[in-house]
Amino acid sequence: MQSEILLRWIVLVPLLGAALNGLLNRRLSKQISGLLACGAVGVSFVMSVLVFLRLTGMEPESRLVQDTLGTWMHLGAFRVDLTFAMDQLGAVMALVVTGVGFLIHIYSLGYMAHDDGFQRYFAYLNLFIFAMMTLVLGGNLIMLFVGWEGVGLCSYLLIGFWFNEDANASAGKKAFIVNRIGDFGFLIGMFLMGTTLLPHLGAGEGVFNFQVLHAHAGVLAPVATAVCLLLFVGATGKSAQIPLYIWLPDAMAGPTPVSALIHAATMVTAGVYMIARLNFLFVLSPTALAVVAAVGAVTAIFAATIALAQNDIKKVLAYSTVSQLGYMMLACGVGAFSVGIFHVMTHAFFKALLFLGSGSVIHAMSNEQDMRVMGGLRTRLPITYATFMAATLAIAGVFPFAGFFSKDEILWKAWSGGNTLLWAIGFLAAGLTAFYMMRLVVLTFFGENRASSEVRKHIHESPATMTVPLIVLAVLSLVGGWIGWPHFMGGGSWFEQWLEPVFASGAQIGAHGAHTGVATVDVLVQNAQMNHAAAEALHETGVEWTLAVVSVLWAVLGLVLGWFVYYKRATIADGFKKAGGGFVYRLLLNKYYVDEAYDAAFIRPGYRLSRSVLWKGVDAGLIDGVLVNGSALAVYLFGSVLRLFQNGMIRFYAWTFTIGVAVFVLYLSFSS
Amino acid sequence: MEGLLFWFCGGFLLLGGLMMVLQRSAVVSAVWLVFAFICAAGIFAVLGGVFLAVMQVLVYAGAIMVLFLFVIMMLQGPVLEGERKLMPVGMWPLIAVPPVAVLLLITGYLRSDATVAFAAAPPAGFGTVEAVAGLLLGRYLLAFELISIVLLVALVGALALGRGERNQPWK
Amino acid sequence: MEITLTHYLVLAGLVFITGMVGFVVRRNALVMMMCIELMLCAVNIVFAAFARLHGDGGGHVFVLMNFAVAASEAAIGLAILVEIYRRRRTVNVDDLKTLME
Repeated sequence: MQSEILLRWIVLVPLLGAALNGLLNRRLSKQISGLLACGAVGVSFVMSVLVFLRLTGMEPESRLVQDTLGTWMHLGAFRVDLTFAMDQLGAVMALVVTGVGFLIHIYSLGYMAHDDGFQRYFAYLNLFIFAMMTLVLGGNLIMLFVGWEGVGLCSYLLIGFWFNEDANASAGKKAFIVNRIGDFGFLIGMFLMGTTLLPHLGAGEGVFNFQVLHAHAGVLAPVATAVCLLLFVGATGKSAQIPLYIWLPDAMAGPTPVSALIHAATMVTAGVYMIARLNFLFVLSPTALAVVAAVGAVTAIFAATIALAQNDIKKVLAYSTVSQLGYMMLACGVGAFSVGIFHVMTHAFFKALLFLGSGSVIHAMSNEQDMRVMGGLRTRLPITYATFMAATLAIAGVFPFAGFFSKDEILWKAWSGGNTLLWAIGFLAAGLTAFYMMRLVVLTFFGENRASSEVRKHIHESPATMTVPLIVLAVLSLVGGWIGWPHFMGGGSWFEQWLEPVFASGAQIGAHGAHTGVATVDVLVQNAQMNHAAAEALHETGVEWTLAVVSVLWAVLGLVLGWFVYYKRATIADGFKKAGGGFVYRLLLNKYYVDEAYDAAFIRPGYRLSRSVLWKGVDAGLIDGVLVNGSALAVYLFGSVLRLFQNGMIRFYAWTFTIGVAVFVLYLSFSS
Repeated sequence: MEGLLFWFCGGFLLLGGLMMVLQRSAVVSAVWLVFAFICAAGIFAVLGGVFLAVMQVLVYAGAIMVLFLFVIMMLQGPVLEGERKLMPVGMWPLIAVPPVAVLLLITGYLRSDATVAFAAAPPAGFGTVEAVAGLLLGRYLLAFELISIVLLVALVGALALGRGERNQPWK
Repeated sequence: MEITLTHYLVLAGLVFITGMVGFVVRRNALVMMMCIELMLCAVNIVFAAFARLHGDGGGHVFVLMNFAVAASEAAIGLAILVEIYRRRRTVNVDDLKTLME
């Protein structure tokens, strides 16, 4: 079969699954429903692999498979095609999304087995895969945006999945609204891009097509900073960066596999993907890249500190996700897009594993999420413990786990780009990551079990449908990073090489811009060169070795400290709480009071405005008073006049009829 | 001769109409209407429509008015109780408004000298049975056929209504 | 005095007014229907007068059509009246006020 045609089915098969599950719902038995959903994603995964294999057989420069279903919109010069395209970047994302998605579907079979909304859950989950695949395989920015909104919708639906609890519904709404703020920026950025580009297009060129955007990147150079910053606003919403990260921790109200799939592994990386996809645009604006890098770095350290003090196991992981997303943004911001995507991939493995592991724990603990009443689960949940440990080592960045390769690479790019400050922040956050992850592990798996005896009786290892995905992901967390084994360690940086054609041209545009006087990023030019000769030169200096060793040691130090503080000398942990009069601890526990600050700054004034002006003034006064009651009054008055004519007297009707005829005749005779 | 006939027939036509309106008994009204119709037949004859005049007498004054008289006989005693009282005097001006307006228009029209005279004589064969039949089955064949359908529907409708509710086939 | 088209039109107008006024002032539904016939007759006169003016028999055809329409209307109208009378025992339109509801 032609592999072009496979592309549409990669996207549409999950939609089919969603439609079947969503429409037939309870009429399907749980077995069939689960089979359908997992099968749809599995088929999608297999097809992704097939297309990927076809890509590997192509010349590195021309690796692109396109599938056009037709024209979606065509208005004058504005044209949008229904195109799916898979290049190296799309292939990586597609494999990660469908692969991890498939594992999480399998896991969900076990996790959601006793839930009433089983079919609805899988309908949403399949719909999510559909939207996410539209996002990563869309051949133009509009398709990407459709997927972007689609995953937002699924996220909302799944956060509020157990909607009969108020808090869950509120969390869903919060996620949706905060994302809308980001999307607002995204849309404005797209409009700006479109209006700038439209006059320069040739015939038949779809304005938002990525290739067209790429070819005309020079035209966009004057507005690149504005466009990129606006798009980045969208990315901060979707990828939970400062200042719009606040929805992600609350999003943990959804089922845990959802947290793993949507709010850790795939959807939240959409912002990173979007920036990587539009790398040729971002390299035109050093300002925008600097902002991306700075926001990423600050988010990384900021969220990591909050994670230190959280007691909810999923909240810790949520802030950890925010922090790791900061890393990805940092990588993109210093121009190392391929490394950012690399971290997206490895993070998808180990963070999905962490969430699924926590799901397994929560499952065993009868839906208890507070780590303070856990502990000692190591012996009771051996598989969960072992896999969780693997993920912890991976996220901490211990060699040779996956996280080491990507995180070390990010820090190295920051360092080699001359951004010592960014490197320092990232480095510090890495240590914190190791520390709070160890805290989590210790509180959950070590020590005495602090649960009530009732709960303790029910602690059991999860069924095979849940442990098998855990094991697969654990293996991936270990070996998944090896495809990016760096040059200096004798590897080939294969991952980077694979993505190079996607980003090299972006770097060229940047370099070209430098020559033609367009402001550009020196770092980028450096990076572009570094990929080849410079990398060898730096390799000899041993700096890279040194940094790698230091960061591994730093991670191990963080782990050991975490172990020591929370296991060996628990008094020290109590001491932390009291340090600085307990102020620091309370600050962290309450997440720097950011939610409260937003509440005071935006939400309460919004309420007040709504209450006084919009409700009392506009709604009650204008709409109810003038429009609704006013129109009713007008109709009443008119009717009370008309009612005089409706008296049932045929002769009266005839009389009015003759009057009408008389008037008509008189008018005709006098008007001529 | 033509003028004399016009005044004669026209005058009695108006008289017949007025008497029909003014009489309280429906039967008397109907008889005055027959009288008016016969006068109208005279007007048609003056205008050269000999066939029309014949039809007016046969169909209108004959068939239709006989139908009216039958129904009156079936439904109505001599004088309807409500017809004994006149309209309240306050209503008269109101009722007078349309006719007065049209009368004003007519008088204004008469003063304007905008009279249109007929040709000296109508074309040969004008208004004869042959001429009308030629038109009816030639130029106006479609209308002729359609009007036959109208008559048929009216026939069926009148039958259906006249059968009375208890005998309706759908009951 | 020569008889012109205008004479016939005025005559037709007067006959029409008579029918119109009769329709408004009479309470007997049967007489009201007769008034309608009178108005139709006025119209027929206008048709015939214009046929004479143009020397075209088309006007006569329309008068015949009017006869058919008048006959249909009389048949249906009278049938309805009979039905009303069966139910209400009256043909006085002032007593038939159900149109108000």
